[in-house]
Amino acid sequence: MPDTPCALEVNQLVITRDNRPLHYQLHIHAGEIVAIQGRSGVGKSTLLSAIAGFVTPQQGEILWQGQLLLALPANQRPVAMLFQDHNLFEHLSVKTNLQLGFDGPAPMQALAEGCAALQVSELLHKTPAQLSGGQRQRVAIIRTLLRPEPLILLDEPFAELDPATRQQAVNWVGNTARATGKTLLLVTHQQDDVTQLADRALMLG
Amino acid sequence: MANYPSLVKRFAPLFGLALGASAQAADLTVYTYDSFISEWGPGPKLEKAFEQQCQCDLQFIGVEDGVSILNRLRIEGKNNKADVILGIDDALMEETRKTGLIAPHQQPLDALKAELNWQDGQFMPVDYGYFAFIYDSRKISQPVGSLKALVTSDASVLYQDPRTSTPGQGLMMWMKAVYGDQSNQAWQQLASHTVTVTKGWWEAYSMFLKGSADYVLSYTTSPAYHQVVESSHHYKAAPFSEGHIAQIELAAVTTTSDSPELARRFVGFLSSDQAQQIIPVTNWMLPVRDGVELPAAFDNLVQPQRIGFSASEMAQQRKSWLREWRNAATQ
Amino acid sequence: MSTNPINIDNTSTLANAQLAGRFAARHTPNSWSGLAALVAISLLTLSAFYGLINFSGQGADWQLLSEPYYQSILLFSIKQALLSTLLSLLLAWPVARALYYGRQPFASSFLNLCLLSFVMPTLVLITGLVALLGRDGLLTPLLGNDWNLYGLNGILIAHTCLNMPFAIRVLLQALQHIPDSSWVLAAQLKLTPWQRLRIVELPALKAAFLQLSGFIFVLCFNSFAVVLALGGGPRATTLEVAIYQALKYDFNIPEALTLAWSQLLIAGLLFALIGRAGGSRWLSVDTLRRQFTPKPGPLMRWLHHGLYGLCALALLLPMLALLDGLHQSDLSRFEPIALLQPTLTSLLLAGLAAGLAISLAWLILHPIRMARLQQWRSLPLLDWLATHALVAPAMVISVGLYILLLPRIDLDRYGMLMVLLLNAALVIPYAISQLRPRLLQYDAQYHALSQQLKLTRAQQRATLWPFIRPAFLSCFALMLLLALGDVAIIAIFGNDHWTTLPWLIYGYAGSYRIAEASLASLMLLLICALTVSLFERHRHRD
Repeated sequence: MPDTPCALEVNQLVITRDNRPLHYQLHIHAGEIVAIQGRSGVGKSTLLSAIAGFVTPQQGEILWQGQLLLALPANQRPVAMLFQDHNLFEHLSVKTNLQLGFDGPAPMQALAEGCAALQVSELLHKTPAQLSGGQRQRVAIIRTLLRPEPLILLDEPFAELDPATRQQAVNWVGNTARATGKTLLLVTHQQDDVTQLADRALMLG
Repeated sequence: MANYPSLVKRFAPLFGLALGASAQAADLTVYTYDSFISEWGPGPKLEKAFEQQCQCDLQFIGVEDGVSILNRLRIEGKNNKADVILGIDDALMEETRKTGLIAPHQQPLDALKAELNWQDGQFMPVDYGYFAFIYDSRKISQPVGSLKALVTSDASVLYQDPRTSTPGQGLMMWMKAVYGDQSNQAWQQLASHTVTVTKGWWEAYSMFLKGSADYVLSYTTSPAYHQVVESSHHYKAAPFSEGHIAQIELAAVTTTSDSPELARRFVGFLSSDQAQQIIPVTNWMLPVRDGVELPAAFDNLVQPQRIGFSASEMAQQRKSWLREWRNAATQ
Repeated sequence: MSTNPINIDNTSTLANAQLAGRFAARHTPNSWSGLAALVAISLLTLSAFYGLINFSGQGADWQLLSEPYYQSILLFSIKQALLSTLLSLLLAWPVARALYYGRQPFASSFLNLCLLSFVMPTLVLITGLVALLGRDGLLTPLLGNDWNLYGLNGILIAHTCLNMPFAIRVLLQALQHIPDSSWVLAAQLKLTPWQRLRIVELPALKAAFLQLSGFIFVLCFNSFAVVLALGGGPRATTLEVAIYQALKYDFNIPEALTLAWSQLLIAGLLFALIGRAGGSRWLSVDTLRRQFTPKPGPLMRWLHHGLYGLCALALLLPMLALLDGLHQSDLSRFEPIALLQPTLTSLLLAGLAAGLAISLAWLILHPIRMARLQQWRSLPLLDWLATHALVAPAMVISVGLYILLLPRIDLDRYGMLMVLLLNAALVIPYAISQLRPRLLQYDAQYHALSQQLKLTRAQQRATLWPFIRPAFLSCFALMLLLALGDVAIIAIFGNDHWTTLPWLIYGYAGSYRIAEASLASLMLLLICALTVSLFERHRHRD
């Protein structure tokens, strides 16, 4: 999408991990879906964490729509992120968990549709501890995509899903992101995700 | 730092409402120890009797014990609220006098018992007692007859720490009076059959009542309590041939009193026949004047010979005696 | 999610805006009020020392350090504390294992009993122990002729009775935090029982052992009532007791200060060290599932049952022994109504103190959570200040404040306010130590998520509350119970208009009324027991 403006710019970013500097340089267009790939330990999750505001870089800048993101604390950035784990409050019901993270009342209609599409509607009154890993992941994906943030970061979102569910989830994420015009970065090890979901892939390391 | 108390002062009335402490200024304020004014102590009865006489409002402020009265005076200095202090004993008399807060009581001393041999113009005796070792006559038929016999015996003994209780100080004087320079060895010998040294009188006495020891240090009047209140006659005080140490509880008027005349009147009242009838059966000590009508139990008490040291000797020596005891007893 | 330490020194190249952003995140209004609360409780301690030093006009008497008397009490303080700690932990561990690995009858009542034993007013415990093991005690005939409760024996027994039950609860909790997956893995790898102990159980208990030993050591090192009552004389004296003795008759403030500084230094240093070492707690996601805990063999099962039964008996006996005091003399002159006002006063005071303490602790924990999240280097200092009241000599704090305030405020009128304030201040460390691990666990698990979800302050509270509620309730109950048992503070600041139940017991006791004292003790124990069971039931409601 060469004609759309550059929404996310990561310029000469340096993050020190385990006494080793990691360098990042990337430009993402608005509405683009980009898969981030690379060996384990190359710093994929670290990049997402830095964009979301949980890791402080040593040098460089991150810009969203021309605004310096590093100046903002995590809870003021335009970001919805899916962590590898700890996405749900264990002591709250699935339903309560789903309704968190919305500015004002949660979009019940959209949430219900998401739950139906990803087959978790029956689980709303359970607690996360009663769910399987794949079920937890789907619940968290639904919330992350539907939150009113323009930039979505997904860290290995489909890792625990079986092939059939995985297909459903990939389709739903793709459709939802494009329908709502979100910019989406996902870390993945699966070539399928890249071909089925992403506009392009970035190789780190 | 300086602002802290004034802040508290400003907010204190708020909490005062919540906690409702009722400390309105009384005509006469008396510092005494807590048990003196407990509902079964002499305080309430004395208050009622004196208020009827004087048509005034008397207020007791209780602190933990006798020495706490002195400590409070030391801390407050001239800002103290007391018109009268009541319950300091003769061993603390000189140190209390040194605060410079004690005024002459201007009371006649001729009605006091001759055995007290009282001459002091600032402190007035209120009651007194002799320290004695109490035993259970159901268990011990042949009690020891002297302090030396007790020390050399193997009978189990409970006494109180001289650093924290007046009976403990009494025993310290007793040992010193009987053993003089040899008291160090005597302490060590006593330690070999001491069950425990307690913080206060009560701890030792309750342990004794539970059967923890053969002898406990208390007062010659303790058996009277068991006879009058519990009608039990088996607790007895062992008379010691060397004589016994007395403890005299005192009252005094402060120099800072707003109503010194009323204060002096109260001090006089305390040694009156009326008050002296109340105090022995509530504070379980002896009356300071002759001819007071008391329950028969008081007639059967041990009548010891009084030995010991003057208040000024006591004040001079106490620290070194304490140190000696401390080192002998820790070995 | 990654929260590895970030090197703060290298931020010089960052844009200023970024620093501003960090700064805004560091100092929320909550963390400021927390720091203010921290300063306030530290000031309380400082002003107590100031009060003493200012009154005597001189500092500590350092010559005391060379006296054999000082050295002997210092050594004894350390020795009895070490032995008490060792004994409590060694006895608690097998009982905690018995509870974890097997089903024990009345386990939840037993855990309530453990809590009760820990907070039971020492006065009540001592009475019970003397009735059991004193010279004419119920069990004494079984112990042989040489038995003497007073001295090191009595101190160790009492300290173990107080602290072992607490250790059982903490160790059990640590065991329960072992994730099911660890046991699955252990089973998968066919680990032997010894390997399971070494690889799964001990690492889970390590932090708890460290923190418990620090905690119990400090409690015993600073022990007062137990040592005074059961020590059996000047041979068994702790620093805290020596401070009391120095202040009581001689009013020897320099000597008291020397002792107090020594105590603060040793206990404080140790506490700080343990805090550092025990900082890394085994944090894990709570799971309700416990399907894979290894089942012990039949022999072990019997051993567990036996140990558990013995322990329950040992905890119950001193309480039951109180009943023995009741029929020793008649209660005919006793009017039960006499207990009513002191009971209500005790509950009111303890309730207010507990509320105040837990609120202050909550505030104080804010900057500590921030410090933990953002890796401030001041974290150990904040932690130490928050819990310093545990190591500071209580005697010095109350006497120092008394000396400071008596000439300045009408303490006969407002003394109860000080009783409230000091009771709250002295139990804050317990509140901190109860709430801190849960809150830090919450932050470790959910801080990033909460930030990510941009939860409002109200939403943050709403998500935190169901998580912290059980810990919060049991913490409140603990504060309540600790404050209920106080006699030391009310003895100094109380007045006769406001008699509390423990103070009444002393009052009865001080005037030969043993039956009444026993009855009031039982009443106090009953209230404590009811409080424990009420809060525990409420806690497990869902």
